[in-house]
Amino acid sequence: MKQPVVLALAIKSLRNRKFTAALTVLSIALAVLLLLGVERIRHESRESFAAVISGTDLVVGARSSPVHLLLSAVFHIGNATNNLRWDSYLAIAARPEVAWTIPLTLGDSHRGYRVLGTTSGYFEHFRFANDRRLVLAQGRVFADEHEAVLGAEVAQALQYKPGNSIVIAHGAGDVSFSLHEQHPFKVAGILARTGTPVDRTVHVSLEGLNAVHADTGESEAADPLAASVREQRHAAEKTASTARAITAFLIGLKSRSTALSMQRWVNEYSGEPLTAVLPGVALQEVWEITSAVEKTLFAVSGLVVIVGLAGMLVALLTSLSERRREMAILRSVGARPVHVFALILGEAAFLTAAGIALGVAALYTGLLAGQTWLESRLGLFIALGLPSAYEFGLIVLVGTAGLLIGLIPAYRIYRYSLADGMTPRL
Amino acid sequence: MQQPVIELSNLRFSWAAASPIVVDIDTLRVAHAERIFLRGPSGSGKSTLLSLLAGVITPREGTVRVLGQDIGRLGSAARDRFRADHIGFIFQMFNLIPYLSVVENVCLPCGFSGRRRSRAVQAGGTVEAEAVRLLGHLEMADSSVLRRPVTDLSVGQQQRVAAARALIGAPELVIADEPTSSLDADRRSAFLDLLFRECARDRTTLLFVSHDASLASLFDREISFPAINRVTAP
Repeated sequence: MKQPVVLALAIKSLRNRKFTAALTVLSIALAVLLLLGVERIRHESRESFAAVISGTDLVVGARSSPVHLLLSAVFHIGNATNNLRWDSYLAIAARPEVAWTIPLTLGDSHRGYRVLGTTSGYFEHFRFANDRRLVLAQGRVFADEHEAVLGAEVAQALQYKPGNSIVIAHGAGDVSFSLHEQHPFKVAGILARTGTPVDRTVHVSLEGLNAVHADTGESEAADPLAASVREQRHAAEKTASTARAITAFLIGLKSRSTALSMQRWVNEYSGEPLTAVLPGVALQEVWEITSAVEKTLFAVSGLVVIVGLAGMLVALLTSLSERRREMAILRSVGARPVHVFALILGEAAFLTAAGIALGVAALYTGLLAGQTWLESRLGLFIALGLPSAYEFGLIVLVGTAGLLIGLIPAYRIYRYSLADGMTPRL
Repeated sequence: MQQPVIELSNLRFSWAAASPIVVDIDTLRVAHAERIFLRGPSGSGKSTLLSLLAGVITPREGTVRVLGQDIGRLGSAARDRFRADHIGFIFQMFNLIPYLSVVENVCLPCGFSGRRRSRAVQAGGTVEAEAVRLLGHLEMADSSVLRRPVTDLSVGQQQRVAAARALIGAPELVIADEPTSSLDADRRSAFLDLLFRECARDRTTLLFVSHDASLASLFDREISFPAINRVTAP
């Protein structure tokens, strides 16, 4: 029966000091928001990154760093330095260990969205997330070199429907001077949303891209500047136009156990210098690069939590001397020193709990509000699930730290209360 | 004859083993329902005696019996419980918890004592109703007074709220430590009238401590603290 009394006293006492209490709760809430927000974005970005590719055993491209190859070929971040020859692709695709291959050609764009040249095998074999395959939301897969399949976001942002005609431009930028107007594409289908870079990609056939680049000669007289730019950029493609060149290709093996030997075989391929990467291993390298930043962010948010709790400690300690009288009154009506101890500890517990609750609420509100923005701008799909075990652990850690810090003023008032009895010596 | 409410014998107390003795009382008895005026200058050790009666501190030598219970033989938890159950206190000033309402302040002892809670419920139906009833007897039940924050009450009103808190749940002993010294003469006698009336109703023993000798005639018996305490104040 006494514990509810002490709890009620703690809550009423805090209500009496609304302003300080609210500030304390706010600072703890912001600290918790930052801590959990950093953790959530770190975790979700990893999940989101890892979900981009699934079921692919090797990614092969011209010789470059594994991270660079993975990022450019699969994530469409940065540009591939070199192409690889079509005959190299055929030679590797013909290996008995290989189950399927998907050739990829990047380098063109449509209104800022990447254009990917590939084969219909892409829609058959490409997997993302947990072995999910690409699904068409509207229309069908491209049937010839005049058709394109759009990612969900491209179609949504540019309001395209099957049947619309689009023109692609050279280079990856938003604004390009060299439009391939001679070879428009008709939208054949639109893919369902995947939460991966596929959503921001325009897919056409390899033949379609080759046709675009073969058609270039006609407008050069009209625009000498663009023509000279095009001349340089297309130099490699022109020599290879008989034997097509591709940026990279994905390999699915019959047996995953041959991945390492296949990787070695590709890396030692005699025809031209190539690099084969295991997507999981290359992603691990990406995490190693980003983990220093993550650790720094985590350390900063940890410090903010400490500052928030220190604020609570200051607020409670400064209130103590003016509350000795109050404690003496409580003692006179029968409160034990341990009740006085529990009262202050209860206040710390309440402030911490309220701070955590507010912080978590703010996190979810923020995620809900920022979800679309993060997805469209950063391609980061943040799930609004329950806190993970790790996040729950962080919450418990903050709560425990709050209670431990609350022990300091609680112990001081306990000592005061023992010494003062009913007559505080102020 | 009923057992004495307070019985001190050979009581000696010092704050530390080596420090001077501040309370040294051979014998003192207070009978049931007596109204005692304990007079003495401040700094004479009166507050220490009250702390001994309350069981906040225990004697170095001798015994303190309250309602027949030897306080010094109880553990600290039992002493706190005994105080909550049997003794009501009124102090000189700042008696109230600032963040509680008038009624919540009055009900406070019932949160720490099951005995006083059940007695209050018995008398008034609910603890809150009993609090309002007592406040009514002390002319404090006006709704405008009840709704006001306790910090807005006048000193006289605060003291009456404190008196209601000391009386709720009918403890056997009410100890009032200079409760009227911050009141002017008119309010002082009005406060005492109300306090006496309430104590008489439940035959509560009242130990009233003051340095103001002019009040002594209102009580059953006057005890001069310097006369019973063999320690001479410095």
